[in-house]
Amino acid sequence: MHMAQDPHTPPGSSTPRKLIDGSFLFIIALAVASGLAVWLQKGPERFQELLTRDLGLAAVLMPKILAGVLIASALPFLMSRERILALVGPDSGLRGLAIATAAGAIIPGGPSVTYPLTIGLMAAGADLGAGVALISGWVLLGLNRTLIWELTFLPPEFVAARVGMSLAAPVLFGLAVRHFMARRGERQ
Amino acid sequence: MNILIGTLLLWALALFTLAHLRRHAPDRLPVVWARTKSTMTFMVPRIVVGLVGAGFMAELLPVGRIEQIFGESSGLTGVGLASIFGALTPGGPFVAFAIGAAALKAGAGWAALMAYVTAWSVVNLNRSIAYELPLMGRQFLLLRSFISLPLPLVLGVVLLLLV
Repeated sequence: MHMAQDPHTPPGSSTPRKLIDGSFLFIIALAVASGLAVWLQKGPERFQELLTRDLGLAAVLMPKILAGVLIASALPFLMSRERILALVGPDSGLRGLAIATAAGAIIPGGPSVTYPLTIGLMAAGADLGAGVALISGWVLLGLNRTLIWELTFLPPEFVAARVGMSLAAPVLFGLAVRHFMARRGERQ
Repeated sequence: MNILIGTLLLWALALFTLAHLRRHAPDRLPVVWARTKSTMTFMVPRIVVGLVGAGFMAELLPVGRIEQIFGESSGLTGVGLASIFGALTPGGPFVAFAIGAAALKAGAGWAALMAYVTAWSVVNLNRSIAYELPLMGRQFLLLRSFISLPLPLVLGVVLLLLV
């Protein structure tokens, strides 16, 4: 692991994100609407039961999320921006997308970890294509989920066929995103 | 149990990372704390609302009927239906793979199962609402979902043609 060389260019940006934005308002509206529907359809007791269960789940997840966020926040200081750019930056080519896919497949964590890590990497220089390849690598080829869950429930031949057929998809998705972003850039 | 193991593994990695940073660049630690704090402030309310909302939505979906319907349908219709059910199936891998296994027993073919598991993986409504939309933003979610959308159908159709 390399330290960032130049102290004047701190790797990663701590872009201040708005605390309340459109996406947040949207999920609040969705939660209120579906909560109301549960209350009316299934009664206040079921509503209370689900609310307690999911708040509990959120509480149990918090330590894991904190660890993930700590790692993601420290990540840009463990590798120089140049190195991250070379590995998974906009000009990293197919190799960069393959690296991002492999990283997604290997990371042993659920969404509460993979998303913060992706945010951290993108803040440190990874492009949108690499971000999409990483998330796609995780959802399609995640080792943890495939080995622990999928093989427990589904026939091994099926799992092998699914993984084999999906192997190239994250890289293709990353390429499509890069292509799309480049075209959009040309138009503007 | 899975959460506990994951948490311990991640904390080990986090502590290792921080110890490394403390030895080699202790002046960077305050920045790491500040960034952690601002990211947590951003994430925590979103994850809480997302999880609660996704939980309510899951309750409203007739999950029990999914395995039955896609187990009994076949061909192109089966692949299409299975893709939709896959995207709608809430909960973690336990739920989706258990439904997939039950559908297989109920008579679903590999093509429909492939479409189901792949759709659940790439265009998962529950995960999109609980995590991806609030954390990554609308542009990331829409672009990624739009690009991934054909995959379940393509893989399902390939199996229909092959098997």
